This record gives sequence, C-alpha cells and structure tokens, in this order.
Amino acid sequence: MKKKILSSLLCATVAATTIIGCGQSAQTTTETQSEAPSEAATAEATAEAENTQAKEPGEKVTLSIYTQYADDDTKVPYDYAVEQLKEAYPNVELNLIVQAQDDGQTLKTLAATGQLPDIYQASTDIINTFRESNQIMVLNDVAKSTGFLDKLYEANKDLAYAEDGNIYAFPFSGQEYVLWYYNKALFEENGLEVPKTYDELKNCIEVFKSKGITPLALFGQEGWNTAAAYDVVATRYTEGGIKALDEGTASITDEAYLTAAKTLEELVAAGLFQDSATTTNYDQASEMFLSGNAAMFINGQWYIEDATAALGENVDWMFYPAADEASYEAGKSVFSGGGSASGFAVNPDSENAELAAEVAEFITEKYCEAKVMYRHNPLVALDTGKEPDSEYPAMMKKLSDTLPSITATTKFTWGLTNSTFNDGIQSESQGLVSGQFTADEFIADMKDVME
Amino acid sequence: MKKYMGNKLAIFLFVLPALAIFIIFDFFPIIQVFAYSFTDWNGLTTPTFLGLKNYIDLFNDRVFYTSNRNQLIFAVIITVYQMFFATVFAITISDKKMKGRKFLRVAYFIPVILSVTVVCQLWSAILSGQGLLNKLFETFGSDYTQNWLGDRYKAIYVIAFVNAWQWMGYQFALIVAGIKSIPADYYEAAKIDGCSNVKAHMKITIPLLAETYKFCLIISLTGGIKAFTEMNILTGGGPNKSTFTLTYMMYNAAFKKSDYGYGLASASIMVIECMLVMLLINFIFREKNQLKEEEKSKKRRLSYGN
Repeated sequence: MKKKILSSLLCATVAATTIIGCGQSAQTTTETQSEAPSEAATAEATAEAENTQAKEPGEKVTLSIYTQYADDDTKVPYDYAVEQLKEAYPNVELNLIVQAQDDGQTLKTLAATGQLPDIYQASTDIINTFRESNQIMVLNDVAKSTGFLDKLYEANKDLAYAEDGNIYAFPFSGQEYVLWYYNKALFEENGLEVPKTYDELKNCIEVFKSKGITPLALFGQEGWNTAAAYDVVATRYTEGGIKALDEGTASITDEAYLTAAKTLEELVAAGLFQDSATTTNYDQASEMFLSGNAAMFINGQWYIEDATAALGENVDWMFYPAADEASYEAGKSVFSGGGSASGFAVNPDSENAELAAEVAEFITEKYCEAKVMYRHNPLVALDTGKEPDSEYPAMMKKLSDTLPSITATTKFTWGLTNSTFNDGIQSESQGLVSGQFTADEFIADMKDVME
Repeated sequence: MKKYMGNKLAIFLFVLPALAIFIIFDFFPIIQVFAYSFTDWNGLTTPTFLGLKNYIDLFNDRVFYTSNRNQLIFAVIITVYQMFFATVFAITISDKKMKGRKFLRVAYFIPVILSVTVVCQLWSAILSGQGLLNKLFETFGSDYTQNWLGDRYKAIYVIAFVNAWQWMGYQFALIVAGIKSIPADYYEAAKIDGCSNVKAHMKITIPLLAETYKFCLIISLTGGIKAFTEMNILTGGGPNKSTFTLTYMMYNAAFKKSDYGYGLASASIMVIECMLVMLLINFIFREKNQLKEEEKSKKRRLSYGN
C-alpha cells in the first residue's frame, strides 16, 4: 500500500513538473493577463486584450529584440537606447536576445518556426531573404511619420532603401570605411616612412620581418577581413572594387582585378601577413597589433576608439598604398567599405507590430546618438545634433577631414547583395592571403563562382 | 516467452513507440531532404521544382570533390588510429597483472566525455601559429614549425587526428567490454598448448571481437563522412574551403547562401554514402560468417557421410 502511495505521489510530481515546464513560456502573457479587465476571458479575448493593451498608455508591453550585444561598440548604444526608451515609452520593455555570430542561422531558424522576435537586426542578406517570405515589415510609412527620412544624412539616403525601393530596416551605421592602421612608433623606431607604393611596402615588410615583427596582422578566420584585404588592393586599380563585381558591372577577369590579385599574391609571398593569418581570429590579431607585435592592421573605422585607447598617439591610419605615387595620390579619394541597408527591422506578424516599428525607429536614433556621444563615431546614418562627450580621437578627426574628398566607396561583405558572390569572395580571398592559392587560381575559381 | 512472441498485438504495441519516433524524427525528415534537394528553396518560401539541376551543379563544383576527398582521408585516419590504439590499449589493460590499469582505463576515456568545443579549443591552442607545438619546436631549436591548421593540404590530417584522439576512448570502451566477454578458459587452453600472449590475442581475442570491430568500423567510417564540428571550430572550413566536407557544404549553402535546395542535395549524397558504407561493411562481415557456416555445414555433411 505504502509503495502504491509513494509511486502515485512520484507520478503526480513528475506530471506536475512536466505541466509547469510546458507552461513556462506563457508566464509573461499570464502576468499581463492579470491586469486585463476580465480574468475569465477566453484565449481569443485575451489576445485581443493584449493588442489593445499595446495601444493603451500605462500598460506594460514587452517587445523582444534580437541584436548584437558583445563589445563596447554594441553594448554602449544598446544600454543607452534602453535608458532613453524608459523615458519616451514608459510602457515598453525590451527583452534582449543576443545576436549570435552565425551568418543569420538563428534568425532564419526563428523565422522558419514562426518565432521571429518583434524587432531584429537585419543584414542585407536577411532583408532579401525575408522579403520573399513576407517576414519583414515595410517601414515606408513609419519612416515618414516619425521623421526618420528627414533625419537621414544626405549621403546616407540610399542606405534606407532596398533594391525594390521600400524601406525594410532603419540603418544606424552611415558610410563606414576600411582603414589601414599602423603603429607610428614601430615605423619611427625602424626608420621607416609610411609606404605609398607597393615597393615601399615590400621594403617595410622586409625590415619588420628581420626584426621579428609581423608586418600586418590579419584576422583571416573572418572572411570579410580577407575580402577587405583584396578590396583595398583592387580599389587601387579600379574604383568599383568588389562592389562592381557584386553588382555585375565588372568581371573578375578584368585586367584590374587580375592585377590586384597578382599584387596581393606578391605581397603575401613577401610576408605581409602572419603565417597563420587564415586561422587567426579578431582577438588574436588585434592583440598582436595593440601589443606592438604587428606593425599594421586592417579593420573598419569603428576600431579607432579601441586603437586610440590602447596605443594613444602611437597609432594612425594611412591611405592605401598603390602601384606608384600617382596612383597613390589618385586613390586617396577611393575607400574600401561603404554603407549598407542593414539595421533594425520589424516582424510584421508581431502582435504589436506598429508599436515595434515606432520603437525600432526610436532605438535606431538612440544608437546613432550613443555612437556619436560615447563612441566618438560621427559616421552614423542620422543627424542627431549631438556632440561627443570628449574630443574626437586624432584618427577620427583625420577621417572627418578626409570625408569631403571621398568620391567612391565599395562595400563591406555584409552589404553585398549577391550571396553567391559574397561566399565566393570571402573564401577565395582567404585562399589568396594564405599564400597557398595563386592569383590565377583565385581568378579562375571566382569566374566559376560567378558563372 | 513463446506465448508472448505469438501475440502479434503485443509485439506491435511494444514496437510502435520506437517505430513512431523513428518514422517521425528520422525516416520522414530523410525523405524530405531528398524531396527538397530537387528544388530551389531558401528555407522560408515555397520551394520551386528544379529537377536535377542541384545535382548537376553539385557534380560540377570543385568543392564537392575536395569534400569527398577530405571525408575519405578523415574516415581512414580516424578508423585506423582509433581501432589500432583502442585494440592495443584494451588488450594491455585487460592483463590483470598490469599495474595502474584502473587509472589508464579512466584516462583513455576522459576525452570522450569532454565537449567537442572544449577539445577543439584545446588543440587549437596547441596547433595555432604561435601555439604550444610550434613553441616547443622553437625551444628545441628545430625549424619544423608548421602552419598546422592553415595548410591547404595538411590541415585535414591534423583535424582528423584531433577527432581520432577524442573518440578513441569510445572504441576502447567497446573493445574492453568485448574482451571481458571472452571466457578465460580459451586463454588458459592456449597457454597449455604453449601459445604466447601475442599469439593468443591474435588467434583468440581479435577473431572473437569481429562483431565489436564491425560496429567500430561503422561508427568510424560514417563519423568520417559526417565530419563537420572539428572543421567548423578549428579552420572554419578553410583556407578557401580546403577542409570542407559534404556536411560543411550543406551548412554553407543553406545558412550562408540561403540555398537550401543545393545544401540538401549535398546532404542527400552524404546520406547515400553513409548507407553504402554500412551496406558494404555488412556485406563484408556477412560474407565471412556465411563462409564459416558453409564450411561448417560441409564438415558436418562429410562427417555424416563417414
């Protein structure tokens, strides 16, 4: 008898635990329901009530947001936006889902299973994919009603629109640039001038290598960095760089791209990058540069803040070297990098889609403010009218002074629209910088990819 | 027991849960994989039928051949390494006179219980450009420092070694269990006949472990064909896809290019390869059993004739 009682109790406990487990995800909804006028409402009525709550002031609405939250460049703007949101939308709470660095795999899985967050950070690839499946909201009206379009810098107007002329995401980053950083102190100690031509660069490589210093630390584990390494060379021969290839207005077999590949092949053979460049991640490469073990580094302008904090006045960026001095001077107005339509997008199937769209626009604006004020990065999509909390770093000032003379940019890989080309250029450029694939192989393989 | 086995309804009821799970979570998805491999699909929208286009593109893709070559290298290395060392270590610790056998038994199995990510991070720290291994070479004045994980041709061998190192303990445990099931009388009889230890293991242990080896062979070879995690963590499939496998091709097509149809075509080929390997292994081992039975029946017939 005792055994029967005991087993019955155990069964009941297991069943209760299971039911509790099943009901876990509905906890937030239940809490909201308790504040609804009628507690005995049916499930349908509850859903309707929730929709109404979203519009009624004073009632709490939780919006899920899927965005980057990994380093200061992503944490500071998010935290600032959340603080500002509390004041502007006291009834809205954000439930942060930290974005995984997985090429959109998590987001696509969430979309496939109907669990897309209310607001999510969308890259060009995600925008194009979700557009086809109607899982991304058209934000044209919200952009107008909130004044988003009026706040956009003139140079960034195009960034807001997708290929079909609609707005699917609120971009917060403006035109961004690939910068070729260098350690001024190391150059001075070794009696070297900033290289203007590839011959001068080869001389620098030789000197640094003889001293046991890595000439340029590349984080080639990330395909975008190797693609950028190829692009900074390609832009010395043709303004379009990888952007023209992505858009199909140029061919990889064009003389300029072949010459760029051969130049990079020569530089790799001379020892520009560390031997294990393709297996080096960002942290490792950055550490090499910031600790003085590497003399140069290729990264976006967002690295200015971190580089300045670590190296102070000993760090600067240079214009990309070219084949000769004339090309070097001419190339000063052409940069690798550029803007993209990436930004905050909204799930059209969200119960609070309209509110989510407004909040997405608000967060975008606050991201821009935080980047200007606390990250000293004026290269944002919107004119916020804010000033940085301290002086811009010297490198940012230099970039700001250069901006008016920039006539052409290319694209970062996350701004490329052709996913096949994107995959190809990332892997093939990785092969090229590894020194184990020839320029001819690079061109032939890229030709296959494009065909 | 006979009465129970005669009750078809009972058999059906007991088999049903497992069968249902297998059909829903294994069989049906595999059929879906094959079906979607003939389509143009981004994972979210309605698929469009393409016929054999994905397969034609796949067979014209140089990475397909690189992937198959890598799978073959990977499978052969892990099979040889794991089966050889697992057998040697299992036989060694099965000797009751050996000191420290309990410690070794646990030590060989420890890598199996570690997460693949942990193991890969560990080996990544050892094998990276400025890693422990290269530092050791430098310390001893050797110029044999290598780009272990970044070499187009060597990286796959290194990755296979990491996998073999981790999972050897699993096969070791299987072989130890197999050895324990062999009656000690056989070894005593062999000893009385003047058989050495090595010969006893060659003539008794290894032949009697045929079924265990069959299982080990299947998990090693299919494990090689399905390889993905180690490549993903250690090299990211690089440099330039030189450490890709069919699983990696599937991942790359589906999640980087949103081309699920193409990815599933490579997955289909991988499933077929796994099935072929299993059929081949079963065929090889069944042949031996059949031959033995045929010989036995011949002997019986001869003895009855006499």
